Amino acid sequence: MSDEAAPRQSFTDKHRKVLLGFLAVAMFIAAWQAAFLFVPFNKLFISKPDLIWNALIDLIVSGDLLRDLAVSAAPFLYGFSAAVIVGVPLGVVMGWRAPVRYTLDPIMTIFYASPLVALAPLVIVFFGVGVSGKAIIIFVLSVFPFIFNAQAGVRAIDPLLINVVRSLGGSERDLYLKVLIPGVLPYIVAGARIAVGRGLIGILVGEFFAASEGIGYAIARFGDLFALDKMFACILAIMVIAVVLTEGIRWAERAAFPWRVGQ
Amino acid sequence: MQAYIQGRNVNLTFRPPNRGPVRALQNFDIDIGEGEFLSIVGPSGCGKSTFLNVLLGLIRPDSGDIRMDGKPLAGPGTDRAMVFQEFGLLPWRTVQHNVELGLELKGMAGEARRQVSQPLIEMIGLAGFEGHFPHELSGGMKQRVGLARALATDPNVLLMDEPFAALDAQTRDLMQVELLRIWQTAKKTVLFVTHQIDEAIYLSDRVMVMTKRPGRAKKIFKIDLPRPRDYEMRVTPEFNELKLEIWNELKDEITV
Repeated sequence: MSDEAAPRQSFTDKHRKVLLGFLAVAMFIAAWQAAFLFVPFNKLFISKPDLIWNALIDLIVSGDLLRDLAVSAAPFLYGFSAAVIVGVPLGVVMGWRAPVRYTLDPIMTIFYASPLVALAPLVIVFFGVGVSGKAIIIFVLSVFPFIFNAQAGVRAIDPLLINVVRSLGGSERDLYLKVLIPGVLPYIVAGARIAVGRGLIGILVGEFFAASEGIGYAIARFGDLFALDKMFACILAIMVIAVVLTEGIRWAERAAFPWRVGQ
Repeated sequence: MQAYIQGRNVNLTFRPPNRGPVRALQNFDIDIGEGEFLSIVGPSGCGKSTFLNVLLGLIRPDSGDIRMDGKPLAGPGTDRAMVFQEFGLLPWRTVQHNVELGLELKGMAGEARRQVSQPLIEMIGLAGFEGHFPHELSGGMKQRVGLARALATDPNVLLMDEPFAALDAQTRDLMQVELLRIWQTAKKTVLFVTHQIDEAIYLSDRVMVMTKRPGRAKKIFKIDLPRPRDYEMRVTPEFNELKLEIWNELKDEITV
């Protein structure tokens, strides 16, 4: 009954947001493909969607893509985990204790704002081309969003809530467990979205400079070999991973923090 | 009358960084009887909310003697609970878990907590909303939760810091009726801070008018209106006479 009372919505009305988004992506790909009907195509300098698609299928079937991704995944996991373990506590303490914040904020801000990838060659010199060197580059790039978001999360906590817990007899430990951590978690998850992007840059840059395997190395090598369809196929794989990770975090955020919906 | 809460010569000066010191309370005296409903009205910034925080144990006065039930006050305790103007609900906790916060901090187990919180949630009329988050509630509902949370630890003293100031006029009227009903059954000592003279008279046994900062007790009015009180009482001549008297005492303290 109530369905009939509501204005009828067609399929396109209901899914307008998603459809329009996909339409833009499809048009971009179509325009790229169509452009070479008018512009002469030289596969040494550029590639086009159908060739990239075929190259991607080749790389998947041969197992090369998966192998390179697996090689790159290990340092990413180490570096990213270390960034969480170091960044979150550091950020919470910086937010909670003013002297610590005053001391560390300028130097952290300088590092966060700098193009730290410039240090990549140095890191490679110190730590080599293996897992540890790459993990350190990823750590250095992805730790700062955790530090700054955890800090912002602590500072955004309403001091009234601290007083509420104190007045009901809560200890310092209760303040952390009942107020600080629940208040900061959503900020950390938001920081993770930014950190994922920076971490992926870290893995590519690390492998561009010096590596013998991994997805970044594959992109660089295919570029050098003028196998641009394969190069773009690898870039596409990285893009898909980046989107899946950041959107996955966004989805997890909504599921894990229902109380954020109203904020 | 042996006062249940007794404050003598309470002095408190705030020393904020980068600014001059602010004398909040000067030679502040107060006596509150057991089970009494006492309201404090005073100009903005006179130190009335500050005194509530002193009683709550969150702020230590510079000097003076405060006793509760004959014993000197030392820090926060579960014999007192505050209802805050801005509610102070934890946004990541449901209604039920907000009500149970004080019990949880006391280390009470989940099932025992539920035995306490459920009747309170029913009393404040929020049965069926146990799983709702604060952002899903209206202002009046939030303050009902704030009240239930304060009552959950079964304190002897309820401190209320302009609890209805953030609510619209109609909700405020209903909450006042509700509060009187709860006060009459729960038999708590209540110290109620407000800006509204009407509200103070309607609820209280006595109303204290405070001076402007640094705050002292200027005059105390005994409210001899019979209980239980109803809404019609607010339009009686006796009520309005009291209102005028209190206003005359208060208006000299207010500077615009």
